Order: sequence, then C-alpha cells, then structure tokens
Amino acid sequence: MRALFARRPGRVEAIVLNTAGGATGGDAFSIAAEAREGAHLRLTTQAAERAYRATGPAPARIRNRLVARHGARIDWLPQETILYEGCDLDRRLTLDLDPGARALVVEPIIFGRTAMGERLRAARFRDRIEIRRDGAPLYLDALRLEGDIAAHLARPAVANGAGAMASVILADPSAEAHLAPIRALLPASAGASLMAPDLLVLRLLARDGHALRATLLPVLDRLTGDTLPASWRL
Amino acid sequence: MLTETQALTLARWLSPAYPVGGFAYSHGLETAIADGHVTDEASLQDWLSDLLEHGAGRNDALFLAAAFRATDDAELARIDATARAFAAARERVIEAERQGAAFVRTEAAVSGGPDTPLLHPVAIGARAARHGLPLRPTVALYLHGFMANLVSAALRLMPLGQTGGQRVQIALAPLCERLAAEAKTGTLDDLSSTSFLGDVTAMRHETQQPRIFAT
Repeated sequence: MRALFARRPGRVEAIVLNTAGGATGGDAFSIAAEAREGAHLRLTTQAAERAYRATGPAPARIRNRLVARHGARIDWLPQETILYEGCDLDRRLTLDLDPGARALVVEPIIFGRTAMGERLRAARFRDRIEIRRDGAPLYLDALRLEGDIAAHLARPAVANGAGAMASVILADPSAEAHLAPIRALLPASAGASLMAPDLLVLRLLARDGHALRATLLPVLDRLTGDTLPASWRL
Repeated sequence: MLTETQALTLARWLSPAYPVGGFAYSHGLETAIADGHVTDEASLQDWLSDLLEHGAGRNDALFLAAAFRATDDAELARIDATARAFAAARERVIEAERQGAAFVRTEAAVSGGPDTPLLHPVAIGARAARHGLPLRPTVALYLHGFMANLVSAALRLMPLGQTGGQRVQIALAPLCERLAAEAKTGTLDDLSSTSFLGDVTAMRHETQQPRIFAT
C-alpha cells in the first residue's frame, strides 16, 4: 500500500494506492488515519479495490481505523470495492468522532464483474462500518454474505437483482439541509433518511457499477461541495 | 418448558391488543406495496420472509437476546444504543422507540420495575429476564407478532383476504421458530442486515403521499 498526499485549499488529501491491485486470501491491509483538531482530512483511492478469488482458507482482512478530533472533518471516499467470484473478504471500518468532529463516509460495493457476466455463486463477504461519537455508537452497519450471493441479492427485499450497492453517511450539523436536495437526486432504488438533525444516511442500489456511479456522483458532488477527488472522474 | 402463566404473560405482551399501537406501523411495507414490490400473497410472503431472516427480524432477535442476558443497566443502555445506531432509517427508530416506550411505561405501571425507555426488542428482552421467562419462546412470539402485524397491515393495503393472511402467517411460523432457536446462541457480533431494499422502502416511506401508516 502506498499513499500520495496532496494539499488542497483548506484540507489534505490522501490518495491510497494498493500496489497489489487488490486483496486475496491471507492478505491483511490496514489504514489508520487521524484528523487532528480543526483539520480536514480526505482519503480516497486511486482505483477500485478488488477482492480476488481466495487462494487459501484464510480470508483477506481489511481493518481501517479513522479518528477525527474536535472540530476536525474526515472524508472517507474510497472508490468501489469489486467482489470477484470466489472471494473471501473480511472488512471493518471504525470511525471515532470526538464531540464537534464531522465526517463523510461512502462505501460502494460491486458484487461481481457484471460486465463480463460474472455472478457470485460461491463467495464470502463480511463488512462492518462502526461510527462512534464520543465513544457512543452513532452508526452501525453489518453484513455477512456467504455462498450464492447472487441468489441472495435476487431476493425481493434484499436487492431485487441489483448488482451494486453503496452506503453514504454524513455526520455534520449541515446534514438536515442536504436531505431534500439529495432525495430529489435519487431513483426509486435508493433512499435517504435523517436519523438525527446532524446525521444523514443513504442506501443506494443499482443494476451495476456504472449505474451506481451515475446516482452516486451527483450525491457526492453535493456533499463535497463539488470537490470530489479527480481519481473519481477517471 | 413454558408454564401456562408464562405463556399467558407472553400472549399478553405480544398480542395486537397490547397498547403499544403496533397497528400504526408498516415497517416500510406501505411503500413496498406502492412501489409494486409486493402485489399478492406470494410476493408478500417473500418480502416478509426477507424482513424476518435478513432484516429487522433476525437482528431484533439478537438485540432481544442480548438484553435478556444483560447483567446491569449500563449493559442494557449499551445494547439499546447499539440497536439505535443499527437502525436503517429514521422511521425504523420511531417504530421501535414508540412501541418500546409504551411497553416499558405500561409494564412499570401494572407490575412495577424500571420505566427507562428502551427500543421494543430491548425492552421485551429486559422484561422477559426480569420475569424469568424462557428466552426462546419469547423471541419466537416477538417475531411472530412482528410478522403478524405486517400481515394485518397488508390486509388494509392490498387485495389479500383473511384466509390469504392466515396462510402467510402459517408459512412464516417455522422461520420465526428457527430464528428464535438461533438467537439463543447468537450475539451482537452476529448482526447482519442485508434487506437493503427493505431499508430503501423504509426511507422512501418518509415522503410517501398519501399514506395511512406512520412508518
């Protein structure tokens, strides 16, 4: 793993590059980042992260830990994670917010390389996003998928056949003001909800990665004030 | 084994007659019907099966079981906070919060004990432990009540018919039993919510017009 740092007006951007191109059995990756008091740190990735077919009994493990101190803002804006047939990925993102800290988090997932007709018939994916504010649970998402994931996603209340999904979380006092404009951007396969005046959550489903981006980009443009990192546009 | 007294306590808590106002909540089903995801008896059964197995059903069972095993108020508060953070949409919190608060308030009034508001599954788990009720039937009846309440909502929202509603309940009862058995050994590390479209309908319900349900 490598990271390139770029100084932008008012913030630091870190572009993470997985030199192996992705994760496979037994790999263990970890990113730890802290935005200190009053700082604005944005993390993104150079390209989509790939979870390759597992090569052994051990899952690929990704453990990312973020911290935002008082008055800081942290943006976690990785590009898509693409799950390959036969993958075994165990991933966890933990974000600790001090009182007065703000965050924008996105996690887009693509279930198989649908453009080449790949379906996840035997794969494993465990994912957990845990956001705490002042040590107390603020947002928690957990999913465990194993086996015929394509059949699972075909279920009506699961994904109704969608092949891509994204979660977006904004913890910021401005969250409430974004709700109505963002709802206006969403198709019927996506929703936004204001969990608290300063906590906006979104769940987006789409046919494939391309369709997901078409919905996600305007949302992220709005939530980043049109400053989405250039790597997202390539 | 469940004694008759225990069975009647659970029947009282988890019957539609208990004053938590369950009839007001559709858990996003009203939108699922409006959006055309649920159109008939078969698609209703599929949808509810997903909500039970991959959505709030199984996860509520885990929260209920965790609350049942909690050893002090601080642990109970942590479980409640985790359940709130895990809720997929604002209206999911509202239905669990209002029903839980009404349950706690009513039980405190009729048989004493704490009246700290808790989300519904957490409140049921904590009370069940206090009354020495067995966990597995408590979870089974909780899930059955959740499912039967949504069948009642469907009866008001779509052409289904009373016998169709009963057939759906009979078909989903074994799933309630299985999830209750699994919750007995499950912990909050086992949480998994993949009823993504169910979550989306709960979010979309917030702006649905017209609507007859609160969620």
